[in-house]
Amino acid sequence: MVPITYNVRSLLVRKISTIASLVGIALVVVVSSCSSMLSNGIARTLKTSGRADTAIIMRMGSDAEMASGIDVSRISTVVSNPNFVAQDKSGNSLGVGEIVVVKTADRAGTTGGVSVSNVSIRGVPANVWDVRDDVKIVRGRKPQPGTDEVAIGKALPGRFQGVEFGANFELKKNRVAQVVGVFDAGGSAFESEIWADVDTVRQAFGRQGVVSSVRVRLLSPSKFEAFKTFVESDKTLGLMAQREDSYYEKQTEGMAGMVKAIGWVFAFLFSLGAMIGAAITMYAQVANRSKEVGTLRALGFSRFAILLSFLVESVMMCFAGGVLGVLLALPLGLVEFPMMNMATWAEVVFRFEPSAGTIIGALVFATVMGIVGGFFPAWRASKLSPVEAMRT
Amino acid sequence: MAEAKPEAKQAEDKGPYRTPAPEPKAIVRLTGIDKTFWRGKEPVKVLENLDLDVPDGSFEALMGPSGSGKSTLLNLIAGLDRPTKGSIVVDGQDIAKLSDGDLAQWRSRTIGFIFQAYNLMPVLTAAQNVELPLLLTHLGRAERKRRVEIALRAVGLEDRMQHYPKQLSGGQEQRVAIARAIVNDPKIIVADEPTGDLDRQSADDVLTLLEKLNKEFKKTIFMVTHDPHAAERASVVRKLDKGALQ
Amino acid sequence: MTILTLAARNLTRNKTRVVLTVLGVGVAVLAFMLIRVVVWAWSMGGEVAAKDRIGTRDKITFVNRLPLRYAQDLKDAAAPLGVTHVTYMDWFGGKDPRNDSLFFGAFAVDHATFLDVYNELSISPEARERWKSDPQAALVGKNLAKKLQVKEGDKITLISPIYPGDWEFHVAAVYRSTAKSFDESSFIFRWDYLNNNKALPASQKDRIGWLAAKLTDPGRSAEISKAIDKAFDDRDQQTLSMSERDLNTSFVGMVAAVLQILNIASFVILLILGLILGNTIAMGVRERTYEHGVLRALGFMPRHITMFVVAEALFIGALGGAFGLALAYALVGAIGPRVVEDFGAMFPFFEITPPSALVGFGLALLAGLISSLIPSYRASRLEVVNALRRIG
Repeated sequence: MVPITYNVRSLLVRKISTIASLVGIALVVVVSSCSSMLSNGIARTLKTSGRADTAIIMRMGSDAEMASGIDVSRISTVVSNPNFVAQDKSGNSLGVGEIVVVKTADRAGTTGGVSVSNVSIRGVPANVWDVRDDVKIVRGRKPQPGTDEVAIGKALPGRFQGVEFGANFELKKNRVAQVVGVFDAGGSAFESEIWADVDTVRQAFGRQGVVSSVRVRLLSPSKFEAFKTFVESDKTLGLMAQREDSYYEKQTEGMAGMVKAIGWVFAFLFSLGAMIGAAITMYAQVANRSKEVGTLRALGFSRFAILLSFLVESVMMCFAGGVLGVLLALPLGLVEFPMMNMATWAEVVFRFEPSAGTIIGALVFATVMGIVGGFFPAWRASKLSPVEAMRT
Repeated sequence: MAEAKPEAKQAEDKGPYRTPAPEPKAIVRLTGIDKTFWRGKEPVKVLENLDLDVPDGSFEALMGPSGSGKSTLLNLIAGLDRPTKGSIVVDGQDIAKLSDGDLAQWRSRTIGFIFQAYNLMPVLTAAQNVELPLLLTHLGRAERKRRVEIALRAVGLEDRMQHYPKQLSGGQEQRVAIARAIVNDPKIIVADEPTGDLDRQSADDVLTLLEKLNKEFKKTIFMVTHDPHAAERASVVRKLDKGALQ
Repeated sequence: MTILTLAARNLTRNKTRVVLTVLGVGVAVLAFMLIRVVVWAWSMGGEVAAKDRIGTRDKITFVNRLPLRYAQDLKDAAAPLGVTHVTYMDWFGGKDPRNDSLFFGAFAVDHATFLDVYNELSISPEARERWKSDPQAALVGKNLAKKLQVKEGDKITLISPIYPGDWEFHVAAVYRSTAKSFDESSFIFRWDYLNNNKALPASQKDRIGWLAAKLTDPGRSAEISKAIDKAFDDRDQQTLSMSERDLNTSFVGMVAAVLQILNIASFVILLILGLILGNTIAMGVRERTYEHGVLRALGFMPRHITMFVVAEALFIGALGGAFGLALAYALVGAIGPRVVEDFGAMFPFFEITPPSALVGFGLALLAGLISSLIPSYRASRLEVVNALRRIG
């Protein structure tokens, strides 16, 4: 085997060409890493929104909470069944009936419908903070039940007119909501929501007597199948139960899939370009070192050793590019990325979320590019006749 | 090149470089030339206080061991390099006073180059290689074609016009290079080891050609060579050693 | 021969490298063109939408439906302003139970007025009769009919996440659209069929999703929209009106983040293009240093050398640009019609416009120019004596 230091030195001799190819690979790796990080982020945001021990009940056939509506009268038997539903210390069932609506909102810095988007508003009962004990107020305080006070997710400030801590916005004409708190929900989709009192939302949005969905904390995750049978057995209720985590997972599928698909199309096209760049560099290396290759062959190195040597060189160059690409992509973990949730038409803020898979995937990708891009030049080198090569 | 018309044309072409001074006896006059290179921080004196007169119409050979400064001297005469000290007057023009751009133009009109390795462009045909220096003039397409034909006929390669360098033998390549050197009808031809890469027979052909250019077309030829056979054909042989002419 | 001949001939010097570079540039231009096609198609969504139709919906949230009587009220209020026809409709969210992953728009519309407002829909006079006489009549877009595998006279059953039960329709016509402002992938049926259903709860009776009004003068759409909203300002439910064009434009605004990502990707392409080209040009210049020395000795000026290098880079850029455009035209030509058929509402067009083709080609040239700047500068700065000394 030809010593690897020989390859390293050879790469360093033609610095500019090596760097050009390496940066090309790095850019491709940035693109593929971003796509991986964003689909990770989407998956995590929507997954942390759902818990395995929580069931969500909606009207039969509904895809999303917003499209669902259940008569309040139909839910009491479901929420308070002690065979399935957990209770707090004072014996209250850990279940909430909530209203979810989306409201048109002017983007921050604009007014009068110039640039609008949709924001989700969730009408929650007073005990929501007990049922969702992982949601914490990080600024201000909890809204007073029975008032028009609201708390907003921490992904919201700075994005919509009036949806700021201490500010106010109109729920409907002449009905103003006061933002008294900001909550942290562990990076979940709830952080892109406004939480208001359930009765306030009912009145403001004309939803008297109904809820969109019911969530209950089960005694244990294993109780779900029995609970589901119980809820769905009464056909007249027209209800269905899902695990909360699988509900959010379903919402993710489309979006994460789209991000992945777009990301991979671009990564594929760009990688063709980068591999061609690597091939150009490696061909030049072979052409410029044909004399050296001839000498190595004369010294007794086999064709295979030559092939391997140039392949190793190409892979080293591309791997270095991969490392650079990962280093460039990781800081994007700090960037927020608002995207429309196709299931609710409301914007949800996602983060680029790096994972071990992102890094390993990027480095494997770079290595593959090095092998593919370097193969034909290496093949050509291995085919050089030692006599011919030394003469030129 | 029996028709000596280009000669007359040349006089017009010279334009700004033509000096009213009476025709000097020496077409190249080097006075008090020093040339120092720097190898890192260490000065290397290649030429020292060198004087040289090359008379118009002579065929001179310059010999000397490697590193004696032969090529440096050739580069100075050809206007490729500038001396550290001293003056160089070629064809009445003090070339130290020319800007880089003017010097390039001056070169294309006054000097014909012949290199050891021929240095033809591999992607151009023989005719196109010869035409190359003419692209720097304002001559029309027809006139350029005519001159290319004359030059190639002069070197005996009129039947190889459309051949690419790799289809020619070494001797033929060098003759194309000679045609390229004379196509502008320069006063002076500088040749750097013109026979260095050639076999005996081809070398003789090339030297015969140079003789012909010197005798029939009155070109001044300044040739650097290692080859005693080549030096024999010159009218004057100078020897350079350690930066000084013997 | 001219000086450019030499530049052009130099392309044949290292054929592998030039071919690879042209391929690389071509792929990059292809990626760029695809991005342009998507971005353009998206922004055209706003352009093709009707200017002479105003949509009116609930001000607070599109989820809230309006009372039926708003249709007459709107007509009364807006008729003096040059509104000729008013119709109303509702979102049904229909799904084909045989294939519930197929997404399409299904709307319940007022059969008496719909075809007056959406007059780009073209159906036969006989179909028009069936549409008027049969409450279960449905109009199915040409593309959707293909996917649902139905033809005129067929029966089809749909389900809805919003309206429980099986809904049977009779295909009265497979419609075509004479303008891009209405796609050929929608399912349209009679609102009275929906409203007269016995299972519909009283709270959902006589409710409509939104209203559409046709104007005689599109130039007055902003003024008329304001007038309509003012007419409903004192009612329980306020309205938000805007022309279809403004609506689509605001939709484009909601996917702004995606557009931003695409624009960043365009920039990455430019970088990769520059790297591939720059690498090739820099290598060519280095390999020809001696030759440039010879040219300089023959009297060529630094600017001539610069020109050689720049011209060569532009040649390669132009070849790559042309190749990339050819690829893009072939690909978009192949998939474009299918995309328009399947996603007509989102991508009314999927084709390459001459200006964007010019930009793509110009980008390749620009990359050639930029990437040759440094190598050509270095080549022109060459010391002739040093260049000639490199070999021999």
